[in-house]
Amino acid sequence: MALLRNDQHTLTGVYALDALDTAAEVTRFERHLNRCDNCTGEVRGFRETATRMAMAVAQQPPPTLRAAVMADVARTRQVPAADEGARHARRLPRRTLLPRLAMAGAALGLAAAITLAVVLVNTNSQLSQTQQQLSQAQQELSQAKRHLILAQTQLAAINAVRTAADATLVTKATSIGGRVTVVKSAAKRQLVVTASGLPPLTAGKVYQLWLIGAPGNKIRSEGLLAVHNGRSGPVLISGVLQGDTFGITLEPRGGTVQPTVAPFVGIPAS
Amino acid sequence: MRASEPESPRQEGGEQHLDDLLVRVARGDQAAFEAVYDTLAGPVYGLILRVVRDPAQSEEVSQEVLLEAWRTAARFDPAKGTAATWVLTIAHRRAVDRVRSAAAATAREQRTAEVPVPHDDVAAIVEASLDAQRVRECLEGLTEPQRESIALAYYGGYSYRQVGERLGTALSTIKTRIRDGLIRMRDCLGVS
Repeated sequence: MALLRNDQHTLTGVYALDALDTAAEVTRFERHLNRCDNCTGEVRGFRETATRMAMAVAQQPPPTLRAAVMADVARTRQVPAADEGARHARRLPRRTLLPRLAMAGAALGLAAAITLAVVLVNTNSQLSQTQQQLSQAQQELSQAKRHLILAQTQLAAINAVRTAADATLVTKATSIGGRVTVVKSAAKRQLVVTASGLPPLTAGKVYQLWLIGAPGNKIRSEGLLAVHNGRSGPVLISGVLQGDTFGITLEPRGGTVQPTVAPFVGIPAS
Repeated sequence: MRASEPESPRQEGGEQHLDDLLVRVARGDQAAFEAVYDTLAGPVYGLILRVVRDPAQSEEVSQEVLLEAWRTAARFDPAKGTAATWVLTIAHRRAVDRVRSAAAATAREQRTAEVPVPHDDVAAIVEASLDAQRVRECLEGLTEPQRESIALAYYGGYSYRQVGERLGTALSTIKTRIRDGLIRMRDCLGVS
């Protein structure tokens, strides 16, 4: 059955959802897609739409998946960016070095060749040791990079709250000294906390952050607040609910599930 | 350092960040890949589970998809769409491939008969996140036939011919329903 071209155009949705029936249908539609800028734009928009639908059904994968994927990744070579890259990658020095050395060996005579072989063996064992060290260093680097990426993500999220269109800033002196500043975005349901001049912690005590729900709602721990040279934060707090109050208490080391004392500062969070 | 650059006030920060990460993955950066995994493994697994319905098989397909993302990251072109879409398009295709063969489809139907999974139940999509809530609101804004056709095709992994058969509706109608519904979803979600 030959489909008319304008008929093909209405297939953008079906194509974007991978719902065409046969490979032949896909090929035919993709041929049309190459000539139709409107369709290309439409398919792109539909795919982004589908992505949002996928995000909406996210589920925690089984914990075994992560290790399995990372193990695969560690032993799987990547496809190079382009054919150009592939050609370069294949031109490794090792492939051309050995035949040339062999030819040189023949020219130098047997004794020289043996000397050369001994040198090569030694060099190889050193090389393998160096490679091991390199691989260890790479692993450490990869872990450091991961930490950096997490820190960058955190910082980006903090900046996003601070620059949100509806961001508001509240700063307040606390009952034990020092000031606490909160930047909050109702749209994001997030806030960013910084503090300065809080008294140094006595042994066995910590500063703990809380979101205190409106009457009838829960009090949620938002973790501990570290103090460096009298300054703290910025700390990002997410999932703020309507009517929440942000507060800080002094608690025993390790923190508590629910506050044991009244907060020394309270700021409306929503 | 990049992190100290101010974020643009319009918050596409998250998506932009993921695109950058995937570009780094293409250069063999395993740490960047781990960050991509932590963001997208949930959506990948959730989507595949919805289509394939069997947790063990879904885990297997998810593993293939995520490895594929690592292996072929160099093919990701930020000019053509977001990193999330690039990965989730691979995920959906692989899931559909897994269930489209006749035998697999029959087995899946049987599984569905045995275990009542509310896979076509749009209301079951509810999740705590704001994003999910928005998607649900937008789905509710569709006509019933549009919603049904899109859910069967995308979350169910059915071809549009199969959707037509299940709903007893002509192919040409399914085609326009899916397109019209997606236009409405796209506009409702503010996808540009």
